[in-house]
Amino acid sequence: MFNKANGSRGFGTEARHVPPALDATEAALQAHERDKTLTKHHFEPEEHPCVRIEHLMKTFDGETRVLTDVNLTVWPGEVVCVLGPSGSGKSTMLRCINLLETPTAGHILIEDHEITGPLPIKEVNKLRQNLGMVFQSFNLFPHLTAKGNVMIGQTKVLKKSKEEAEVEALKQLEAVGLLDRADFKPAQLSGGQQQRVAIARAVAMHPDILLFDEPTSALDPELVRGVLDVMRDLAENGGMTMIVVTHEMGFAREVADRVVFMEGGVVVEQGKPDDVFDHPQNERTAQFLGSIG
Amino acid sequence: MGQTSRHGRGRFAVALCALACALTLLAPTAAFGLTTNKATARPNEDGGSSVIGGLPTRLTWEGTVDEGEEVSSVTLVLPEGSSFDGTTTKVTVLEGLSRAQLEGEVKPATQSLVVVFSKPATAGLLLRLEVEGVLFPSEGGDVVVRGTYVNQNGEQDLAESKPIATIANTPLQALLASLDANPVVEAWNSSPFLGMFFKPQLLVTAFATLIPGWLLCLLIVCIAYPFAIILGLIFALMKISRNRLIRAIAIIYVNVLRGTPLFLQIYIMFFGLPMMNINIDNNVLGVIVIAINASAYLAEIFRAGIESIPPGQYEAASSLGMGHMMTMVNIILPQTIRRVIPTVTSDFITSYKDTSLLSSVGVMELMMFAKNLTSVSGNMTPYVAAAIFYLIVTLPLIKGVTIIEKRMARSERGGGPRPKVKAKTAEGVTGDPAEKGAEPSLVEALSAPFRPATTDIAGMGGVADVQ
Repeated sequence: MFNKANGSRGFGTEARHVPPALDATEAALQAHERDKTLTKHHFEPEEHPCVRIEHLMKTFDGETRVLTDVNLTVWPGEVVCVLGPSGSGKSTMLRCINLLETPTAGHILIEDHEITGPLPIKEVNKLRQNLGMVFQSFNLFPHLTAKGNVMIGQTKVLKKSKEEAEVEALKQLEAVGLLDRADFKPAQLSGGQQQRVAIARAVAMHPDILLFDEPTSALDPELVRGVLDVMRDLAENGGMTMIVVTHEMGFAREVADRVVFMEGGVVVEQGKPDDVFDHPQNERTAQFLGSIG
Repeated sequence: MGQTSRHGRGRFAVALCALACALTLLAPTAAFGLTTNKATARPNEDGGSSVIGGLPTRLTWEGTVDEGEEVSSVTLVLPEGSSFDGTTTKVTVLEGLSRAQLEGEVKPATQSLVVVFSKPATAGLLLRLEVEGVLFPSEGGDVVVRGTYVNQNGEQDLAESKPIATIANTPLQALLASLDANPVVEAWNSSPFLGMFFKPQLLVTAFATLIPGWLLCLLIVCIAYPFAIILGLIFALMKISRNRLIRAIAIIYVNVLRGTPLFLQIYIMFFGLPMMNINIDNNVLGVIVIAINASAYLAEIFRAGIESIPPGQYEAASSLGMGHMMTMVNIILPQTIRRVIPTVTSDFITSYKDTSLLSSVGVMELMMFAKNLTSVSGNMTPYVAAAIFYLIVTLPLIKGVTIIEKRMARSERGGGPRPKVKAKTAEGVTGDPAEKGAEPSLVEALSAPFRPATTDIAGMGGVADVQ
C-alpha cells in the first residue's frame, strides 16, 4: 500500500493515497460535529480548531511505521491528554506537530495553515515560535543559567532587548516557583526544577500551543507533583492550549478537557476524561487503564 | 692582531709578533724607549671566546726595547678593580727568534707587577710577560694596561696598550667558575653517564643559551594556535555541512594533513615555496606550517565535540524557533568549546613539541640551540636541558588537563560553585547594570572550567525541590 522507498521527506507517491486536506470551514464543521461530545471544551460559535491532524502517517527509514492514520483536532484553549502504551506513536505525533519529525504523509494544519509538505526553513522556525515544547529529558541548555535558558529564545528569536527578556524570564521563573534559582545552572537543579525551568522557557515565548512530551516520565516520583502543579496552573489559569503526552492518569482525569488514547499509530478512543476512564468503549483502552490503574 | 688571542697558534703568533717588532722598529717611536707591542688576555669563558672580568685569566704583555735603551725593570699597572695574583709569571726575553740570556725577577703587588731584570735589556730585545691569575674588574669593559719602565735615564712611562675588551662577570659566570672548582662536581663528571648527560656546568650554560630558542618555540606555537583554532573550527563546520562539495573539501584537507607526517609538510613548505620564488621568513613559515597542521587535528576534535552534543539540544533550540546558525552559535558551540578544552590542550602540547621539527630547516628554536651546543661541547647535556625546557611547559599543561577534566565531570554532576540563593522580585532587577546577562560569552565559556571551585560536597547531588 505504501511506498517503502520513500524516505523521510516524502510527499511524493505516498501522498497520493491520502485525500487532500479539507477546506477550513468544512473541516471546522465536521470536527465540531465529531468533538462536541468528546470534550469539556466550550465551543465558540464558528470556532476553528487550532491544530488539525488528518490521516497523519509517519514511517522511519521507510519501514517502521509508527503512525498509521492519526486524526485529531485540538481547539483553542483545550487541554488534550494523549495516553497510550509505549510505542503507540504518541510522542511521534507530538513531534510531527512542530516538525521535529517530518510527517511521511497526511496533513497537519496549525490555525488552518498547512505545515506538511516542503516548507521553507524560515516558515518552519516561525511556526515553531508559536509551538512551545517541553521534553521528557528537559533539554535545558547546560551552559546557561536558569534565567539564561528562559531568556535566550526571547533575545535571539523574538529579538527582545536583554532587559525586557530578563523581566519576562524572572516573571516566568516566579510563576514556576524558581525565582530564587534564577542564577543556577541546570546541573545544579533537581530534575523537577529543571523541568519547571523548561516550562518557563517554553511559556516565555508566548506560544499559542504548548506541547508536553512525557514531561514527568524522567522524574523521581516526589518531584512529579511540582511539575504537574505548574502545568495545572497553566491549563486552568493561563488558558493555554496544551497537548500533553503523559502517563499521569490523575492529572489527565483532573485537568484534561479531552483524553485521547492511542495505540498502534492510530487514535483508538477519545472522549471526556470521566467517560474514558470510567467507561472505556474500546477493549484496548480498558485493558490499558486496567493495567495502569 | 685581535685583542683576544687564541690558543694553539703559537708559531703563527710568534711570527706575527716578529713582524710587528720589525714594523715597530721601522716606525718613528721616539716618545717611548720601550714600545708596547701588545697586551692580551686569554679567554676564560666556558665554551666561549670572551674575557670575563673577576675570573682568573692570563695576561700577556709584550714590549720591544728601542734603540739605545737599556731597560732594567718594567712595571705593569692595571686599572682599579683589577688584581695580580702573580704567583706564576713567566718572563721571556727574546732576541730575534731565540731566547736571550736574561732573567726577570717578579714582584707582584695588588694592582701592579714589577719585573726586575738580572741585567738591563738592550735594544731589540722582545720582553714578554705572561701573568697568570690576573683578575680584571668584574663589571667588564675595556681594560688598558699601563705601566712604567726604568732605563738608564730613570723611570719612564710605558705606552698604553690597546684596550682589552672584557665582559662583566655575571652570576652565571661566577656559578660556572665555582662549579669548575667544585670537587663534588668533578667527581660527578667523572662518571661516564652523569658526565655525559648531566654535566652541571653544561646544564647551567645550556639553560642560559637555550632560552631564546625556548621563547621562539613558545612564540611560534602561541601565534600559530589561535589561527589553528579558527581554521579548525571552519573545517569542522565544513565537515558537518549538508553540502557534499564543502564536506569533500574539508575531508580532503583534514585527511591529507593528518595522513602525512608534519616533517614532510615542513619540507614541502620550506623548500617548495622558495622554489616558487615565494620567500617567507623562516619563523613566519614555521608558524604557518604548525598552524595548518594543528588545524587539521583541531577540526577533528571540534567535529567530534559538536557531534557529542545530544540531539535534544538541537531539538530544544529548534522548538524555540532558532535557525541552524543561531543554534550553532548560541547553543552548540559554547558547549562544544567547553567539552573540547582538555583535548585541545593535549593537542596544544603536541604542537608545542612538534616545533622541534622546525630545527631541521634552520628555525632557531630550542632543538637547534641544543644541537649546536652539543656539537660544540661534544656532550649530551644540552639535550637534557632542552628536554627540561619542553617539560616546563608540558607538565603543567598535562596536570591542568587532568584538573579541568575532573572539574568538568564534577560540574556536570551539579557540583562546583553555586550562586547565593536569594529571593528577589521580577521588578527589582530591571535594568540593574551589575546583573549579568544571559549572553553565553565566549570568555565565560572558556574560563568556566578554570574558575576556582568551592568545596561543596553537600550540593554535589543537586538540591531538592522546593515545594
